[in-house]
Amino acid sequence: MSSAFEAELILSRPYLTRKQISRAQKNTISDLRSYSQKKLVIIKYLSDMCVQLKLPRKTLETAIYYYERYHLFNAFETELIYLLATSCLVLSCKQTETLKKVNEICQVSYKVRKILKANQDMMETFKKRIWQTELRILESCSFDYRVNNFLHIDEYIIKIGKSLQLEPNVCYLAWLIAYDVLKSDILLIVPQHCIAIAILKISVELFNLQNDNSANENNNTKWSKVDYSFFETNESSVNEAYFEISNFYINTFDICDLQANIPPNYPHIGIESFIELKQNTGRQRGLGELENEDINRDPFLNNIRSTAVRERRHVLSSKLVIDEYNAINDTQHK
Amino acid sequence: MSESNYTKEKKVGEGTYAVVYLGKQLSSGNNIAVKEIKTSEFKDGLDMSAIREVKYLQELNHPNVINLIDIFMAYDNLNLVLEFLPTDLEVVIKDKNILFTPADIKSWLLMTLRGVYHVHRNFILHRDLKPNNLLISPDGLIKVADFGLARAVPGPREMLTSNVVTRWYRAPELLFGAKHYTYAVDVWSIGVIFAELMLRIPYLPGQDDMNQMEVTFRALGTPTDKQWPEVSSFPGYNKLQIYPPPSRDELRKRFIAATESALTLMENMLMMNPHTRWDTTQCLESEYFKELPTPSDPAQINILSQKA
Repeated sequence: MSSAFEAELILSRPYLTRKQISRAQKNTISDLRSYSQKKLVIIKYLSDMCVQLKLPRKTLETAIYYYERYHLFNAFETELIYLLATSCLVLSCKQTETLKKVNEICQVSYKVRKILKANQDMMETFKKRIWQTELRILESCSFDYRVNNFLHIDEYIIKIGKSLQLEPNVCYLAWLIAYDVLKSDILLIVPQHCIAIAILKISVELFNLQNDNSANENNNTKWSKVDYSFFETNESSVNEAYFEISNFYINTFDICDLQANIPPNYPHIGIESFIELKQNTGRQRGLGELENEDINRDPFLNNIRSTAVRERRHVLSSKLVIDEYNAINDTQHK
Repeated sequence: MSESNYTKEKKVGEGTYAVVYLGKQLSSGNNIAVKEIKTSEFKDGLDMSAIREVKYLQELNHPNVINLIDIFMAYDNLNLVLEFLPTDLEVVIKDKNILFTPADIKSWLLMTLRGVYHVHRNFILHRDLKPNNLLISPDGLIKVADFGLARAVPGPREMLTSNVVTRWYRAPELLFGAKHYTYAVDVWSIGVIFAELMLRIPYLPGQDDMNQMEVTFRALGTPTDKQWPEVSSFPGYNKLQIYPPPSRDELRKRFIAATESALTLMENMLMMNPHTRWDTTQCLESEYFKELPTPSDPAQINILSQKA
């Protein structure tokens, strides 16, 4: 077989910074406001689906990651969002080993969307289109299954909360926050265990705002002893998630689900609580960003992905890319 | 942009979810295998086995586990590039023209256990170990392959399906239909493979699922509540014929060439109670691997058919 056709070699980059995300979205999303509004609609839709199908939080989380990730490299089209979201859920069920038949997912989808007159033909077309979308979604993740495999926010809130000996009500508040967090972009920025730690930190601090000073100090010293490297992360990643989440609440507190779900005996939490948290952080910083100029030169973010390239290779290790680059250069020199 | 890096030269097999080709990696000149994944509508879209295979092989990097080199999309098909492995243990066991020694068996078992130890260390259950899935590289190394049934160790409340592992290599807890099980199911399979290597015929060849229980318990004894508390609470236990476990002498007669420590290792891998069954660490540290003969150098094992 001849090898003389174009091929593309793409190194998987499962996490991007805020600026990098904006750069990629410039190619794919013409109206960011509409995208954000629709995203909330879709998250509500996916949440309802998960409730109906009795799927755990991790399946929802993975589906949302796929949905957001897809839109970094594929155009946002309002009329396709339900199809895409359903396809994300089908794939996420496979990824998180919470299998459901596509038939069942489609039926529930019609039910949730209150489409009553769905016939067999419609269903078959729907299924076919779901399957066609599956590979595109995976390709936007560079087939990198290391993401969403072992790590999920809710599971790590429990595990890390236990390991830090935090009180159950602190962890419960964290678990409530963790749902709202799925609506932000943070899943695309840092891995889930960093998000879990940031949420726990926020939860501890929200409790502290209400307590008297002695308890405050107690909790603060407890948190200052947390060794992020023990949890395979670092301060800037956790801070990044911390800022993303507190900003998210400050900007969109009214549409969040937190307020409606806080149990009665918990401290009062309002938008001002998050503003206070932000004021208390002082000079801490999140992840560093590259200069705009460099981001604009990054082909991974700037080039529009073309399915016309016949062979599109996705690799996980930069070593493989370098080895191959050297091999090609060697042969050219000879 | 670069040129295509892989060629597909010869179709060598076709499974339920993939077509396998032999080819070359052009940048290195190495032989490789390309698995082209079929997307079929009957399988609910992208096949679960394909997803599992990629998902777990991306996490694993070990000399005794098959290496996933690359993934690419071509003509809208998903292709997995794997290292080229010309043969497998099933072929070797079945080919009566190949002679192998106790030291060769020890070498293969050692490599298998090392590979599976690494899989378990990464919190993954293989769930389909059998000679056919233990591939052999050109330099004689055993590579654990086919992760189409593998899965991550489940959380405490997750239910698993007991319909895993090819029948002859299925552990008793699976035969009983357990919804929760552990790494021990893989160790059982390796135990059965060990027996098969010594006998050179399948050790527990059940004809169907019911018969598999019969065959397994006739050979190794029916488990009782004494050795495996609450085993009798599994549905269907009461219908079982109770066989006594084999004595050491009976085992010696069945496995003529086996040493005492080989039998001890095998017995502990084929322990009925999954809680007391040895894990891969205990197996690797067993006396069998410390006594003579030392395991053969993999590159020196002659697995070419002697039939001239």
